[in-house]
Amino acid sequence: MSGYLYEKDLTSMKYDILTSTRHDRMVREIAADIGIPQIKLRRYIMERFDMLLMENLPARYEEGKRQMAYASETERDLRAHLYSRAIPLVTEDEMDRIVTRVKELMESGMPREEAVLAGKNLFRGSILK
Amino acid sequence: MKRTVDVSIPVGPIHPCWKEPARVKCETKGEFVLSAEVELGYMKKGIERIMRGRPWQEVMFLAERVCGICSVIHNMVFIEALEGISSIPVPERAALLRVIVNELDRMQSHILANFSYCYTIEHETLAMYLLDVREKVMDELERITGARVTCAYIVPGGVRFDLRHEDALRLRANLAAIEDEIIRYTGMFENGPMIALRSKRIGILTKEDAREACAVGPTARASGMPESDRRLYHPTYQKLGFVPVSREEGDNFARIMMRFQEILQSIALIRRCLDTLPEGPVRGGGIPGAGEIAYSGEAPRGELSYFIRTDAAGRIVDIAIQTPSIMNIEACCHYMLKGVASLADVPSTFVSSDPCIACTER
Amino acid sequence: MSLLQRVKNFVRSRSIHVAYVDVGSCNGCDIEVLACLSPRYDIEQYGIYVHNNPREADILLVIGAFTPGWEDKLRSVWDKIPEPKAAIAIGNCPISGCLYNRPHTLIDPPVAKHIPIAAQVPGCPPRPTEILSAVLAVAPVVFKDFEVKKR
Repeated sequence: MSGYLYEKDLTSMKYDILTSTRHDRMVREIAADIGIPQIKLRRYIMERFDMLLMENLPARYEEGKRQMAYASETERDLRAHLYSRAIPLVTEDEMDRIVTRVKELMESGMPREEAVLAGKNLFRGSILK
Repeated sequence: MKRTVDVSIPVGPIHPCWKEPARVKCETKGEFVLSAEVELGYMKKGIERIMRGRPWQEVMFLAERVCGICSVIHNMVFIEALEGISSIPVPERAALLRVIVNELDRMQSHILANFSYCYTIEHETLAMYLLDVREKVMDELERITGARVTCAYIVPGGVRFDLRHEDALRLRANLAAIEDEIIRYTGMFENGPMIALRSKRIGILTKEDAREACAVGPTARASGMPESDRRLYHPTYQKLGFVPVSREEGDNFARIMMRFQEILQSIALIRRCLDTLPEGPVRGGGIPGAGEIAYSGEAPRGELSYFIRTDAAGRIVDIAIQTPSIMNIEACCHYMLKGVASLADVPSTFVSSDPCIACTER
Repeated sequence: MSLLQRVKNFVRSRSIHVAYVDVGSCNGCDIEVLACLSPRYDIEQYGIYVHNNPREADILLVIGAFTPGWEDKLRSVWDKIPEPKAAIAIGNCPISGCLYNRPHTLIDPPVAKHIPIAAQVPGCPPRPTEILSAVLAVAPVVFKDFEVKKR
């Protein structure tokens, strides 16, 4: 019966989507912001997103950046909404955990910049995991 | 995507109700749809890749063939983007003729979308009535532009042909007939109890979700976002005093009614254009030059954006097209289909967002 | 000619089921096929029924240039159609690739490489009447005395 189910390897088609002009620009921006190699981010996106979400990524990215203005300061620094809702790189629970952790660090007396940096490291870790 | 349940029911790529191939894998619990995943790649032609490095004269025809249903708006947005780069003026008569042709195209596209929906919920009578009205609109389109589909009517600095006086009279007469029929069919759709059972409170898209998925066009306006209409920012439409309509329900019924309302609105716009059509030239001429621009227009399905970079010879160096269907199908599959009570509602909900896979994949 | 064959010929002449498959077009041809359904052209008055189910079809309308997604699937769709069957290419795309057949494209025309095509309707897009007359012209050639010809 497997002949009738026709599951197919979609990697090359997904790669075609992800290398168009706007997608490429977006991937470069995100990779530079998070601080991971582009190739790793591309593979991560290709493994986790379905093709329709991938087509829509640039529009969601622009909209997510616009929505950042309404978030709290910590969330804005971590780009929490952008990377969990607009572009679901990590789940919302995971992002909430990171945000809570950063807030805890700040309450325990760590300077703001260091705490945000620690949060970004946590985020990078959860992607490279 | 992560598996949440173990039953995944694929719908498509060949499905009796779908005009184009796409594969929606619905993760279900009983008949309840928990989430949907879409597999594309059946229509990917790589148009943006073909366009690069080609002269605008050639890309103009390729741009039209991104989508055959809404070909006029692709033509219009591409040409207006080129005009924006090189600041080519458009004669006033030509600008109004563009609006007339664009609105006729919007009407036939909306009628086709509503036909598909009625056909999907098996109301074949209303579907065939609508398809018959569509032929009248196509006649008008053909009389003005010379072709039914992909007519390449709009050129830099104007339009190809003038609207003759007798054609304008025929257009007016036909518009009156079309308006009567559309009002009648809108009533049939609005008051049909069976249609209401299949459409009301099914496939709901809330305003927050619509914003997050960047839904556009009638899909967004049915969820209460009238500001998403790009016609508000177009100078010719501003001159005509265009005001968008919207609804609040955000279900299948609202999306179809939205399109019926917009058809009537388009008829009013065309009438206003015919009333104010000044005498004068329709082709000013102009040669596109080097530059870069991001330009958007309102396609029948929503906001259509072109990002173009050209060189001095008018060749397209870089181009990216963002079609409305990308956002709308995404909103449909990842938000509307979530929580659809029965698998039988999946095709009708999918069709109600007016999917156009050819645009989505290009 | 046997009586059975005559009955078959008679039935087949007025009952043609059509399925269409879009293998990567711009949609322009799809909507012209749909326009055939409209009361103005009324495809059903000739006994043609657009069903879009390959397992019940007699004639397959192939629309569009051939995209990578269909490599393994078009053949299987064709195999599912019961004999006697015929495929008609609608529009320029399945014939030559039309505008899309340029450097850096992803398509792989013509469709005739992948499944046998009985007739071609050129045009970008062809008019509904042309599609209609193509179906009506192909049907008797393929279906009349099918069993006799096969022998």
